[in-house]
Amino acid sequence: MSGRGNGALTRRQFLKAGVAATAAAGLGGAVRLGPKAYGYGPAPKKMIILGIDGLDPVLTQRWIDEGRMPAFRRLLEAGGDFRPLGTSLPPQSPVAWSNFITGMDPGGHGIFDFIHRDPGSYVPIFSATETTGASRTVRLGKTIIPLSGGRVRNLRRGQAFWQLLEKADVPATVFKMPSNYPPVESRQRTLSGMNTPDIKGSYGIFNYYTNAAASVIQEAGGGGRVHDVFVVGNRVEAELPGPTNTFRTDAPEAAVPFQVFIDPSGPAAKIVIQGREFVLKEREWSGWVHVHFDLIPTQSVHGLCLFYLKEVRPKFKLYISPVNIDPARPALPISTPASYARELERRFGPFFTKGLPADTSALENGVLDEEEFLHLDAQVYEESLAMLEYELGRFDEGLLFYYFSDADQRQHMFWRLTDPLHPAYDEKLAARYGGVIARTYEEMDRALDMALRRADRDTVVLVLSDHGFNSFRRGLNLNTWLLREGYHRLKRPWKQEESSLFDNTDWSKTRAYGVGLNSLYINERGREAEGLVAPGADKDNLVREIAAKLEALVDPRTGEHPVLKAFVSREAYRGRHLKNAPDIVLGFNQGYRISWQSPLGGFPREILEDNTQKWSGDHMAAPQVLPGVAFANRKFTAGAPALYDLTASVLGVFGVQPPPEMIGRDVLAKS
Amino acid sequence: MPMAIVNLVFGGIVGAVLWPFRTLSPWAGMVAVSFLTALLMLEVYKLTSNQAAIRRAKDLIKAHLYEMRLYKDDMRITLGAQRAILKANLSYLAANLKPLAVMIVPLVLILAQLSVWYDRAPLRPGQETLVKARLEGTADPVGAGLDLEVPPGLEITAPAVRIPDLHEVVWRIKAVAPGSGRLTVRSGGTALGKAVVVGDGPLRRVSAIASRGSFSKRVLYPGEGPLPAGSPVRSIEILYPAGRLAAFGLNVHWLIAYLVLSIVFGFAFKGVFKVEI
Repeated sequence: MSGRGNGALTRRQFLKAGVAATAAAGLGGAVRLGPKAYGYGPAPKKMIILGIDGLDPVLTQRWIDEGRMPAFRRLLEAGGDFRPLGTSLPPQSPVAWSNFITGMDPGGHGIFDFIHRDPGSYVPIFSATETTGASRTVRLGKTIIPLSGGRVRNLRRGQAFWQLLEKADVPATVFKMPSNYPPVESRQRTLSGMNTPDIKGSYGIFNYYTNAAASVIQEAGGGGRVHDVFVVGNRVEAELPGPTNTFRTDAPEAAVPFQVFIDPSGPAAKIVIQGREFVLKEREWSGWVHVHFDLIPTQSVHGLCLFYLKEVRPKFKLYISPVNIDPARPALPISTPASYARELERRFGPFFTKGLPADTSALENGVLDEEEFLHLDAQVYEESLAMLEYELGRFDEGLLFYYFSDADQRQHMFWRLTDPLHPAYDEKLAARYGGVIARTYEEMDRALDMALRRADRDTVVLVLSDHGFNSFRRGLNLNTWLLREGYHRLKRPWKQEESSLFDNTDWSKTRAYGVGLNSLYINERGREAEGLVAPGADKDNLVREIAAKLEALVDPRTGEHPVLKAFVSREAYRGRHLKNAPDIVLGFNQGYRISWQSPLGGFPREILEDNTQKWSGDHMAAPQVLPGVAFANRKFTAGAPALYDLTASVLGVFGVQPPPEMIGRDVLAKS
Repeated sequence: MPMAIVNLVFGGIVGAVLWPFRTLSPWAGMVAVSFLTALLMLEVYKLTSNQAAIRRAKDLIKAHLYEMRLYKDDMRITLGAQRAILKANLSYLAANLKPLAVMIVPLVLILAQLSVWYDRAPLRPGQETLVKARLEGTADPVGAGLDLEVPPGLEITAPAVRIPDLHEVVWRIKAVAPGSGRLTVRSGGTALGKAVVVGDGPLRRVSAIASRGSFSKRVLYPGEGPLPAGSPVRSIEILYPAGRLAAFGLNVHWLIAYLVLSIVFGFAFKGVFKVEI
């Protein structure tokens, strides 16, 4: 990495340094041999970007006006600027941050939704990464010896802006950028963010051990697992599940046994796991606990987790957080260079590596209550702030990007307590936790304060969010609507509500289906395995017909249109990957979102239903409804910049020409 | 009592050797102890071994190896030479038995003393750990009524967890300020003391276990005096963090470092002492 202790130079850098050394020697001057050249810009610049997921422009403006966000106000009063920021279509974080990373829209970078589908099987798949096992293996009895490595591939296309900066010799640190798992190849310092899995390869699965009746809602790619345990003689024996052991032919789940010894009458217990012992009081969290899952004698996977002893009696309740990848010995790639994660671990000790560390599933399922969730989330925030301070402390050139997930996660979970019209509104809880979101914005203000203190007059400071937020009161069962309108057919209509993953769909008579959070696909002949609709005019007419009907749909409960705009992707996107796009992208109205069951091919009875869950704020609306924010200590030259414009602006700060595939334009004034 | 005196003597010697190095890298003390151990062992070896027999055995081995090379085409001579080498090897090992038997005693005592300095690290201020009192197999930890008292600089951060299955009572303590002192476990009318150390510094004497146990425990845990009889408590242990002896970014176990350094010094100085090993 440029000038940063990593001794390796590219051939180009070496030649450049050599030419510079020769020239300097000829002039009788000293020369710095490290690669400290900059791009094509007129002067060395520095740039600090705070990426705050979900920071809403309306709320931000309100709390600036109320004096609750003094650093933001200071930035504006010192000649800075603020604009609502055009978000992506749809305004989902992986899509939006990909827009910012690449300066393109989904047609260019290929991330259209959290969830895509395999047209060959109609099965929903995650859009962000693809994992493949070793291509060559040898079997020894029940053991599989891989002869080549497996592979995790980032499916986002296009060049990341820090890769372009690297080519121009501008050093960058990119901290927890979403949609950058595994981190794209780069010699810049990067740590992967959202989409980084836990040790099981999921988006985060907590474990809950109890002898009380309990169940959790299984989520796509995450959630939790309840373990029924018995307290025998004040002792609990249990196992912590780990990754699937792919070194065995039967691919069992690796697990680590542990014991809990409960005091016969007191509210405390000793926990013993892999030789490590610690005592927890009731309602107390452990520090990070290292665990390792032995797969074969020479192969172990190392992880980190937190224990929370929720209750010892009358019922036993123990929560264990999702097992994070150990940054000191990462089983999967989480940073570039690989040593960066280890460096942070040496400096800070164990830290959260899972993409979104807040355990919203545990709160959703009542395994953690609001107080417990916030306690854990406060740890995430304090850790983020400490690492920001560290990175700011050594920031002296190039670019620093730093990401916060706190505002997004807490708005998702606590919006219901700010919205009396929300079906999950609870007056008592609102009295206690109704201020959580405002306090979170104040915490984000602290981060900006730190950045502003570090910034000198040559430093451009930019704060951006990927989208705003609104209430999620009502959910649209898109597939149920398609069924009612005759666009979708079931093989056994009487089993409609039991259907999942389209296992009951009669594809030979189905013309359209919904997968993911905003996506609708036509069952197109030649593209889908059992495609029915001919490409061309037939499909175009069907797309327009469905889009018009969706926009005309009225919620009988409220009289509102749940779908504000049904975007035809061919008209909405540009780029080389348009062929993978859904045919229609739903832009929901305020207060609406896709339902919980529809994204994975479910067919609940009602077309529209109340959202009674704690996950109560969201951002699946039409982009014009939910802009993000853009703050800078410079003026914006555009009235309504978009995320991809900021990519061009970042490159512009360093005098780097955006490549032709980027669709944004530089919107930052030069001084 | 004799064991206490032995521990006192060896503890004093090792402590005196390490004292000048307590503010330096732990490697400095380790090198010093290894060097002195090597010199001591060379002298002991020289005095207790049959140098002539060792020399003769090694000469025989060399001679028969030479014989094998000269007559490598003659199977009968080669096999005979191998048999002779094996016999000479056994003679060599026999000649080493006596010095090894003599050396093993001081070596074990030195190792036990070194473990007090290198095996565990003191608690750092802010760090939490456990104190474990292990009871007799017949004792009930619930009925034993054990209490823990900590000196200034430490605080108890969780109530006692009494575990009948393990005959154990465990407390969580937190180091607040640097210093050393004694914590006390009260059992009925008996007060049982255990040394505790909080602080930084590269090299500190840390005794993890106070035991009432057997002769072997007195040898292996020489860091402090034995617990008095008359209470159900067999031992008190503080779970200190592991000591670190880092080299090139790797954590080297102190025992390996000690043995390797001692052997290197031994071979380096055997000529000076005119010792045949």
